Amino acid sequence: MQYLLNGLPIGATYALIALGYSLIYASAGVLNWAQGDMAMLGAYLAYTLNRIVGLGFLPSMLAAMACAALVGTLVERGVLRPLRRRASPSINLIIATLGVAIIARNLALIVWGPDPQLFPSPVGSRIVSVGSLNLLPQDLLIVGVAIFLMLLLQYFLRFTREGKALRAVAQDRMAASLMGIVVERSDSVAFATSAALGAAAGILIAPLFFVTFNMGAVIGIKGFVAAVVGGLGNIPGAIAGGFVLGLTEAVAGGKISSGYRDAISFGVLILVLWLRPSGLFSRVNRAKV
Amino acid sequence: MLDRMRGLPWWKIAGLALVLLLPLAVSNRYYLHVLNLVGIYSLVVIGLNLLSGYTGQVSMGQAGFFGVGAYVSALLMMRLNVPFVVAVSAATLVSALCGVVIGIPAMRLSGPYLVMATVGFGEIMRLIMVNWVPVTMGAAGLTGIPLPSFLGMQISSERGFYYLICAVLYLATLEALRLSNSKVGRTFLAIREDDLAAGAMGVPTDRYKVAAFAISAAYAGIAGALYGSFAGVASPDNFTFDVSVLLLCMSVVGGNRTIYGALVGALALTVFSEALRFLQGYRLIVYGAILLATVIFMPQGLSGLAPAVAQVFRRMHFPGHKGQNGVAGDKGETCR
Repeated sequence: MQYLLNGLPIGATYALIALGYSLIYASAGVLNWAQGDMAMLGAYLAYTLNRIVGLGFLPSMLAAMACAALVGTLVERGVLRPLRRRASPSINLIIATLGVAIIARNLALIVWGPDPQLFPSPVGSRIVSVGSLNLLPQDLLIVGVAIFLMLLLQYFLRFTREGKALRAVAQDRMAASLMGIVVERSDSVAFATSAALGAAAGILIAPLFFVTFNMGAVIGIKGFVAAVVGGLGNIPGAIAGGFVLGLTEAVAGGKISSGYRDAISFGVLILVLWLRPSGLFSRVNRAKV
Repeated sequence: MLDRMRGLPWWKIAGLALVLLLPLAVSNRYYLHVLNLVGIYSLVVIGLNLLSGYTGQVSMGQAGFFGVGAYVSALLMMRLNVPFVVAVSAATLVSALCGVVIGIPAMRLSGPYLVMATVGFGEIMRLIMVNWVPVTMGAAGLTGIPLPSFLGMQISSERGFYYLICAVLYLATLEALRLSNSKVGRTFLAIREDDLAAGAMGVPTDRYKVAAFAISAAYAGIAGALYGSFAGVASPDNFTFDVSVLLLCMSVVGGNRTIYGALVGALALTVFSEALRFLQGYRLIVYGAILLATVIFMPQGLSGLAPAVAQVFRRMHFPGHKGQNGVAGDKGETCR
């Protein structure tokens, strides 16, 4: 039971990153390798604003998310658009975002150094006990903020113009552009939103793990696994997939072996890809020829 | 023009002489060491080109097969006193088998799903290396891997390794060229271009995809076995995802649609990496930038420039043939 509780905050983090992947995949059709590094960027930016500049936790977080959104837009403009214009095969798009990830990681290494930074939790680190279960207040914060952000995202997608445009582009790109939606702008919005979500995930998880330049790598891959498990491009699926992965990881890691925990996640990925590639929560898509 | 050149032996002889005599001219052990590394990596990238460039199955887990080759060969030699040649062959076979194991679930995947599945597989391999401590010595890895010895001689100098690697690379390249120009190669291309259409034409695409994985894994495996004896140590840190990324970069920069692209890419990136060592931290940023620039501006890689260069050459020398476009480089497509 304790394992399940441990899995919740991790699951929430994976869900946020998975949302980023699914958003971009649904609207732009691209796998954004740099998604995990948005989390890293967000964490570092928030750390700098909070620890060095001295802003409070919430303003730091918001500012970092805004910066990440800006970076996301830059990536879309600078990398995705030229490639689309040249009608590159999708593998080139993936490699391009990989290049962005490499650059981002090493820039962070240069700017902030190789030492892991400590980001103290804004809600203290006293363990709260409920019966026989132990919780960190940070865990509650993570889950709470994550759920809040997800609700915000749903509101955005349903009720705002940009959000509806995004959904239209995700459904049918050509029809959306025929209807007068500027598709490139939707791509930018998708990238910006994903980056902001990723940054939030990174900031939330920073007090639990150290902030290092490499944290984007593992989180990025796990987040992608979560997105695939839920169905790549499926927004609620991403959330579900995140939690499923987080809980599975926590339970399997606790019960079976912690060294192989990552291997178990990848095993889950390969299993899902093999048996039900459209994801556990998506309707099965047959490719039309 | 290139067709006519194929019959002419002069440049082939010159090239061969250059390759064979190089170690005598280069006395700096460090340069030879770097060249040897280039040779080993080219082996892996040839396999990667066959898989990703020819068959269109992008793989970012080649480091896993590379590691399997190194560990299997090293363990056989160290624990069971198996002779070098047998160990290397066994390592290649085991690697190929791993390729089949990943190829079977992968054959239904494409695009980002395939990429991630291969990443996952590479990571699983690495985690096995780290966690299966009784066999693989865990994170510390294997040390003291025996040097290659066969036919009574032992290879211990950079020069010796150079010739060994050259020989293996030569045979491997020949085989890869033969493969790519055969029915198998054409099937791979068909799968890359449109595997549904290929299937409709009666091509058993599943079998060929798995075969492509197995072949690329075999190349990585033999390279890994050579690497083990070359470096003397093998640890999970040598076979991380970053290595897979590096291999992919070599493949992309050199041009993943040709076999020679593998050699070009390995050479270019390694030389580059050494030359830019003074940049230290910025070096990897430059790497990423090169990757981006190559993908955006030069999607066929450096070897994709060859048809363009040949065309310029042809236009210079045969000005009367201005409208002609017989070079097989319309889409940068070459079949070598």
